[in-house]
Amino acid sequence: MTEPSIWTNPEGWKAIGAALAVGITAIATALVQREIGSAAIGAIIENEALFGKALILTVIPEAIVIFGLVVALIIA
Amino acid sequence: MLSPKPMTHALIVGHRNIMKDTVDKLHELSLLHIDDYNEEETGFNIGKPFEKASEVSRKLVKLRSLTSLLELEKKYTTPTLDEIPEEFDQKLEELDDLVSQKTEARKDVEAQVRELETLKNDLLPLAGIPVDLELYRGYDNLKVFVGSIGVNIKPEIEDITSSFELFTDSHSSTIALFVPIGHEEAVSNILSNRSFKELKVPDVHGLPSENITKIDQDIEKLELKIESIEEEIIDLKEQYSEFILAGEKKLSVENEKLEAPLRIATSDHTFVIDGWVPTQDFEILEKSLNEATDNRINISKLEEKDFGSAEPRDPPTEYNNKKFAQPFQELVDLFSRPKYHELDPTIVLFFTFPLFYGLILGDMGYSLLLLGIAYAVYKLVSIPTVRSLMIVLIVCQIFSLMFGLIYMEIFGFPLAGYYTADGAFQAGLIPGFMTIDLFVSPISNEMIQYPLHRQYVIDTILVLSVVIGLLHINLGYLLGFLKVHRNHGFVEAVFEKGSWFVLQISFLLLALGYLGYIPIWAGLAVLVLSIGMLFRGEGVQGPIEIPSFISNTVSYTRVAAVGLSHIYIASTINMISLEMVMPESFGLMTIFAILVLILGHALNTVLSIIAPGLHAIRLQYVEFFTKFYEGGGRIYNPFGNLK
Repeated sequence: MTEPSIWTNPEGWKAIGAALAVGITAIATALVQREIGSAAIGAIIENEALFGKALILTVIPEAIVIFGLVVALIIA
Repeated sequence: MLSPKPMTHALIVGHRNIMKDTVDKLHELSLLHIDDYNEEETGFNIGKPFEKASEVSRKLVKLRSLTSLLELEKKYTTPTLDEIPEEFDQKLEELDDLVSQKTEARKDVEAQVRELETLKNDLLPLAGIPVDLELYRGYDNLKVFVGSIGVNIKPEIEDITSSFELFTDSHSSTIALFVPIGHEEAVSNILSNRSFKELKVPDVHGLPSENITKIDQDIEKLELKIESIEEEIIDLKEQYSEFILAGEKKLSVENEKLEAPLRIATSDHTFVIDGWVPTQDFEILEKSLNEATDNRINISKLEEKDFGSAEPRDPPTEYNNKKFAQPFQELVDLFSRPKYHELDPTIVLFFTFPLFYGLILGDMGYSLLLLGIAYAVYKLVSIPTVRSLMIVLIVCQIFSLMFGLIYMEIFGFPLAGYYTADGAFQAGLIPGFMTIDLFVSPISNEMIQYPLHRQYVIDTILVLSVVIGLLHINLGYLLGFLKVHRNHGFVEAVFEKGSWFVLQISFLLLALGYLGYIPIWAGLAVLVLSIGMLFRGEGVQGPIEIPSFISNTVSYTRVAAVGLSHIYIASTINMISLEMVMPESFGLMTIFAILVLILGHALNTVLSIIAPGLHAIRLQYVEFFTKFYEGGGRIYNPFGNLK
């Protein structure tokens, strides 16, 4: 009888997949939000009434990590 | 409730000798939103400020400069003066002199300190060389080199001449080199090759080290002096802050009244005030103005078009909501004030925003804690915006508590015991309270239980959030339909917004077709129809937006996902701290465990405002508002309403 290999344990692969789904999407969101966030702050300083619009633009890429989280939840 | 307050365009015309009475009355009423007059070809000019305006604004400038010099904070609650007392001017002059004296004195002393510090910095490199500073200058036959150098220069100098004097300070690598003037050029060449940096020798007497000690003492004395001046300033601040702030408030009001003619059209004998008044208050305005001027004024209602030849402007927007929904106006304002002809979504937000917030959070522990905090802030703070936002937060917590009754969690601990998927028993906080099975979810084969443990019915709540999202989005389309119907008629509304309902029906038919219940062409036909309607209603933009409809819908999965991440954070904190307190290791670890528990839950409490709040508001702004809302209205800001 062969030893059970860690490479063939589906649970492990699932966990790695879930981690990648959240991790990579989080990095992607962060990269985009860095750009949008700094531009949004600049716009708000020019005109405070833009706060609402700036907030929306900043949270739009949040969807990426949320979808990553959803995928992770479905995998795990 | 869904519309802003109806406005009436009012034109007030009268003789110039009653202009002052009219302006005073308008200011007292605080009802008319004045549209500033900008000189168009109407034969009218912009009015000149009333007498005394320049005097008042001069005093106001003085008061404001005092406010900033004394670093006074404007408070919302500062009382204003009823009347300007007679001795006000004199007191203001005196105070102004006194404060400028003090601040000037402080500035002088600070300048002295800076000067001394510069001198000290110049002296510091020389401190290690015990040569009187006077001896560095005033020679006819000697050249003095003072500066820093990284190498030992002595051998190279000795090659040139034996008659020299060299002082070195090994710590700061400063040297002072005295050579006969005849060798100046040769020595200076060597030095510049060795990257010698020349230093300035300050023009003072005595040893550098003694000078530095003296400077330190002087600086200390001067700093004491600054402190005492600052104390005097603080005394002044305490004594006069009310005088200044109340005076500032009163004079601001005066100033606004005196400068009002700048917003009014005038001719040689008449004036015309152009503005907006809530329709319900028009009669009050008319009656009060007639009383104040003995019926010598003419007030007429205008069509929406402005007085003058300028482009017609939209009426200003004032919310018209019941008291309970008013705090949610802040959330709409945060996005943008509705236009006058638009729907005001405040009342819808009153239900949907807390609903999503509650669905996401739903933990009774955090909700009760935040409820307490929000109530305390509401009681302690007097800024209206903050108070409104606290009420919004309180309403959110109430919704969250209601969902808490379904989820039955406190700080991530389940209240009811249950069996996990692998059969292990997880105890609840309430002994004997057991989770009961209700039915198998129609979406997946997950068992729906009471209390609902969200982490075990992930598929079901994901689909459920999308369903709630679809309802929310369709509510948006419905409001859009109402808006277009009101402003452009029924046919436009059917094409522009109704097409989205047809599109969704086509999706449903396609799905049924795919499953084989109905022929597939039925779905395709409706799809083509809906795209055609969209094209007719919104142009090319319509069909292009179809993918965004799908991504918007999927976006609602965040309601489930963020909620789950919240539970996971809470239960992870609990797990870490519980594992640290094992009964046998009671002691230091227990303290750490308590720390982890408190800090962790404190962090998660802050996240409980940010995460559900931000995601719930985003779903309103991005997914919901884009279906019917534009914003960008003018804010109704009646003359006399001093902020």
